Amino acid sequence: MSKKALEVKGLVKQYKDLTAVDHLSLEVEKGKIYGLLGPNGAGKSTTIDCILGMKNYEEGEITVLGLSANKDRKKLYQRVGVQFQSSFYPERIKVYEICEMISALYKKPDDWRGLLRAFDLEKCAKHYVASLSGGERQKLSVLLALIQNPEMVFLDELTTGLDPKARREVWAMLKQLNQKGLTIFLTSHYMDEVTALCDKVNIIHHGISVASGTPEEIILRSGMQNLEEAYLYFIDEKEMIDREVAFSTL
Amino acid sequence: MKSLLVLYKTEFKLALREFSGVLFGILLPIGIMLLLGILYGDKLAYENAPYTLLQQSVAAVLTVGICATGLMGVPITLSGYREKKILKRFKASPASPLLLILAQFLNNMTYALISSVAVVGIAVLCFGYRMIGNPVLFILSYFLLMAAIYAMGAMIASVAKSEKIANMLCTLFYFPMFFLSGATIPYELMPKGLKLFADVMPLTQGIKLLKATSLGAWQNDSMNAVWILIFTAILGMIIAVKTFKYEYES
Repeated sequence: MSKKALEVKGLVKQYKDLTAVDHLSLEVEKGKIYGLLGPNGAGKSTTIDCILGMKNYEEGEITVLGLSANKDRKKLYQRVGVQFQSSFYPERIKVYEICEMISALYKKPDDWRGLLRAFDLEKCAKHYVASLSGGERQKLSVLLALIQNPEMVFLDELTTGLDPKARREVWAMLKQLNQKGLTIFLTSHYMDEVTALCDKVNIIHHGISVASGTPEEIILRSGMQNLEEAYLYFIDEKEMIDREVAFSTL
Repeated sequence: MKSLLVLYKTEFKLALREFSGVLFGILLPIGIMLLLGILYGDKLAYENAPYTLLQQSVAAVLTVGICATGLMGVPITLSGYREKKILKRFKASPASPLLLILAQFLNNMTYALISSVAVVGIAVLCFGYRMIGNPVLFILSYFLLMAAIYAMGAMIASVAKSEKIANMLCTLFYFPMFFLSGATIPYELMPKGLKLFADVMPLTQGIKLLKATSLGAWQNDSMNAVWILIFTAILGMIIAVKTFKYEYES
């Protein structure tokens, strides 16, 4: 058994004249939490879309749990859970109804009532999804990504728009799941979140990886005090190089 | 099969809560039927006509339900599901998003059938309506019209680039047909120029066909109506399938 949950080699994704992802390579070990960081528009969501076979890409090789999203779609999605950036709830749906609906898509779904209990959402089962608080709704969206009891989950901007308390609740939950062996791939632009959760991170800017490694390694290499400063350092450096290139071609 | 049933059940409940489908698809045609029944009584369609005004109108009232579900319900819900990335979420599962789309179609058809049964029931029980023509031919015509209208709805759902555009296109197709094809205002009362314009619409042809079969008065142009409806159904479905996307291009 390979120890790698995800392998991306030389991924290139082009939108007309914009290169959204530029020769990106990364590896995620099983049982780890991996963070893909970068400013808005850096190519984080596009990378997830390519990994999961939602978008075609120009170049590169991607294997998730030893499978290719394009060839073994059904097998892969049975083992991989997904939470996309924007919420995906039909209007006027209740919590238990969306649970039933998503469960119906899988062969052997987990008992969603048990999950509701574990996520402390049981009392909300008959509530409208729209009436939940931000934290509850995010917890629900993670729950729905876990409904088939996957080996790996992809969480895109999990805590954007949440208040500090709700964010911490979600973190605690993810850590718990990770301790039970779940591999987590997340994107974020909150450095405190990444520091609290991730074993390894990769900072991308304009689709190019500018730094990767453990949070400590990245801080060390930048010579800064914390991950936030290190992040800004690498993003700025990239922008400075871009500017110099632009000048030299003038 | 079980998944489809779960989706169908949930979609049914959501549509009930949404209510505009119930209002325009079921209550409105029932209201029109009651009104026409009271207004027409047992008046003949014209002097010495072999059928009454009521017998002439029932078929047209049935189409109100078909249009409200097929031209409003299907495209607006589906493009909303695309905009909210619900289709994308379904694509990232071992099941197919087509399952959700199928559930949506079946659900709207159920509403249309409930509406039709209610309208015919009221006509028969309250106003002594009897069908003169062959019921089998009538039912076949009914489903042919349904296929054509739903194909147009599917086409709108596919080509619209956002839920807003879908909404606009629906209005653009729905209301002229609703008023000019004889579903509400009898076609027979329209001036010649307007009739020519109305004849272009598939709904007009469908209503002509339903009238011909329900009155047992097969006209010279009834076969034309059949061909126009078959053509609309096939063309609509081809455009819908060819232009369909799970996600709007960003």
